[in-house]
Amino acid sequence: MRIPLLACLTLAATPALAGTEEALSDHILPGFGGFATAAEALRVTAEADCTAEALKEPWNAAFDAWTQVGDLRMGPTETGALSVYFWPDARGFTPRTLGRLIDDEEPIGTDPETFSEMSIAARGLMALEQMLYADDFSGYAQGSYSCALVQTMTADLSAQAGALEAGWRDGFAQVLRSAGQEGNALFQTPDEALRGLYTQVLSSLEFTADTRLGRPLGTFERPRPTRAESWRSGRALDNAVLFADAATDLAITLADTPMPQTRDALERLHEVADRVTDPALQDIEDPSARLRVEIVQQQVRALSQTIEAELGGPLGLTAGFNSQDGD
Amino acid sequence: MTTRRTFLASLLAASASPAVGWAAVGNPSYVAAAKLPDGSYMLAGLREDGTEAFRVPLPARGHAACAHPERAEAVGFARRPGSYALVVDCRDGAVLHRLTPPEDRQLNGHGTFSQDGALLYTAEQRVEDSEGVIGIWDTEANYSRIGEFASHGVGPHDLRIMPDGKTLVIANGGIKTDRWDRTKLNIDSMRPNLSYLDADGMLLEQHEIPEFAQNSIRHLALRPDGLVGFAMQWEGEPGMAPPLLGLHRRGETPLLCEAPLADELAMDGYAGSVAFSGTGDEIAITSPRGGRLHRFDDEGQFLGAVSRADVCGLAAHDSGYLASDGLGGIQLVTADTATPLTRTEAAWDNHLIRLRS
Repeated sequence: MRIPLLACLTLAATPALAGTEEALSDHILPGFGGFATAAEALRVTAEADCTAEALKEPWNAAFDAWTQVGDLRMGPTETGALSVYFWPDARGFTPRTLGRLIDDEEPIGTDPETFSEMSIAARGLMALEQMLYADDFSGYAQGSYSCALVQTMTADLSAQAGALEAGWRDGFAQVLRSAGQEGNALFQTPDEALRGLYTQVLSSLEFTADTRLGRPLGTFERPRPTRAESWRSGRALDNAVLFADAATDLAITLADTPMPQTRDALERLHEVADRVTDPALQDIEDPSARLRVEIVQQQVRALSQTIEAELGGPLGLTAGFNSQDGD
Repeated sequence: MTTRRTFLASLLAASASPAVGWAAVGNPSYVAAAKLPDGSYMLAGLREDGTEAFRVPLPARGHAACAHPERAEAVGFARRPGSYALVVDCRDGAVLHRLTPPEDRQLNGHGTFSQDGALLYTAEQRVEDSEGVIGIWDTEANYSRIGEFASHGVGPHDLRIMPDGKTLVIANGGIKTDRWDRTKLNIDSMRPNLSYLDADGMLLEQHEIPEFAQNSIRHLALRPDGLVGFAMQWEGEPGMAPPLLGLHRRGETPLLCEAPLADELAMDGYAGSVAFSGTGDEIAITSPRGGRLHRFDDEGQFLGAVSRADVCGLAAHDSGYLASDGLGGIQLVTADTATPLTRTEAAWDNHLIRLRS
């Protein structure tokens, strides 16, 4: 899809579209590029050495890259994100599906061509975490079925990352840029594109507070540490902070002001996160350890409120009328 | 042919009811409520092309939950806790009647007219225990309350008259709520059901979905041959991705319509409206939380998704569906394609009500 240059220039003059353009060029497109590069590096490593120990470092690098754009649920990643990152797995699909593949040595597990037809629970970063970190999965040897499965999974992940990057760069970026133009049903005005991206910022922070941190916290009487995201790899706290970093960075690209309060709120989030005693969040049955995680959760919410006040308020952006008040 | 008797009858009807028909308000095909940028509320009539046929003020936020089949009157239900409903004259927004349920009843936001428009049925619950009640109002007698019967479930939400003109189908949402703050009280033990009642309130048929007991059955769509679509809202653990649409035909077992897992997850466990397409060979649900619409064929097979932020209102259109959203957009959905028709500086409320087919 191409839009005339003149139209680009005219629309770029409106502040709303300027924010959208900066979000794309400074945050989103480089983010998907970085993830594609990291996922490809993981695939290359796995081709040479599929063992869990060899893959932990490039897997972590790919996950770090994913956090920069992984909470964007629009365009190619509206559903495409879920086969890269299937979490939470409330029904326990991931271990069950992987276990069945391995027990039956199903051919699809060693065929990168057809693996994309697999259940999303057996694909992507979280399924790989299961293979690399779970005691009953990670002890596989070179040449085993599991080894070939992991190679297939990393090839599939790299292919997905490449497709998502291309889908954003060559397709959906233009949908955002052409907001308000004839026939754009997704964004009927330039402001709708800006609002769409702003909503992604708030949804990401809400998910981090309520689910990434809230799910393991459970209730005071019954904390659920093994419901933490990526607890096996010890990424639970890092993920919360990295996703909040990314949401804040996206908000700053959308803004036409320096956003000093938002930057302060993010700095404060890093401070309180540094005081958490176990980055895997596995000690939250201890009340004082739990309290430190609750403070992180509160600060993620405070960060979200700060962004609402500093970005959403001045731009006249509000949460969805229907999505906020069900019937 | 006009006989003396029908002539007299029409004369009588005219004198009994000074109200006018929908032609007098621009022949809208749909009505919908919306919030305006200044914080006030309106009720609008929309034509097939999405343009406004009329616009009148509403005194408070309310759903355009139902419209009289002939007279240009719409009923707006007050937001929770549902202590009143207003019958609004669509010519000027005048409140023609204020419906107040008995003291120990709460209106639950939906109602439906009998086919001839003589009666209005409202979904209500008993204040003390959320047991469902269907209120009956006589539209020819200043909307006076003339009776009620049990809905045969807890917390009824949507209700419709079946194509036979006499059977009621009711979505008993199953959720017990606190009388003051509407806190949900029974999420762990809720049992929503789909119930069919005759005109006297006798239970004819009832279905639960035991494998998804925490899926509140809330909204209904009907096809002229009696196929019922029911949309659900998940109250259980997030991320379970349950089916959000069911299809049912009297005497059969309900069929649950599942989307692929990634699509189901993107709906965020919530369907806000349901409608059959204009041809009736497919059905769709909307999720304002997921910002998307899911289409299924009439045998429950997933057909595809359409994305649109805060989409919720949905109704049949001759070419597919008309969808409204909180950003003020009205879109025509035909197969996988959404075409923007109009955009108003207003946030369209949850439902889009079709006046005639």
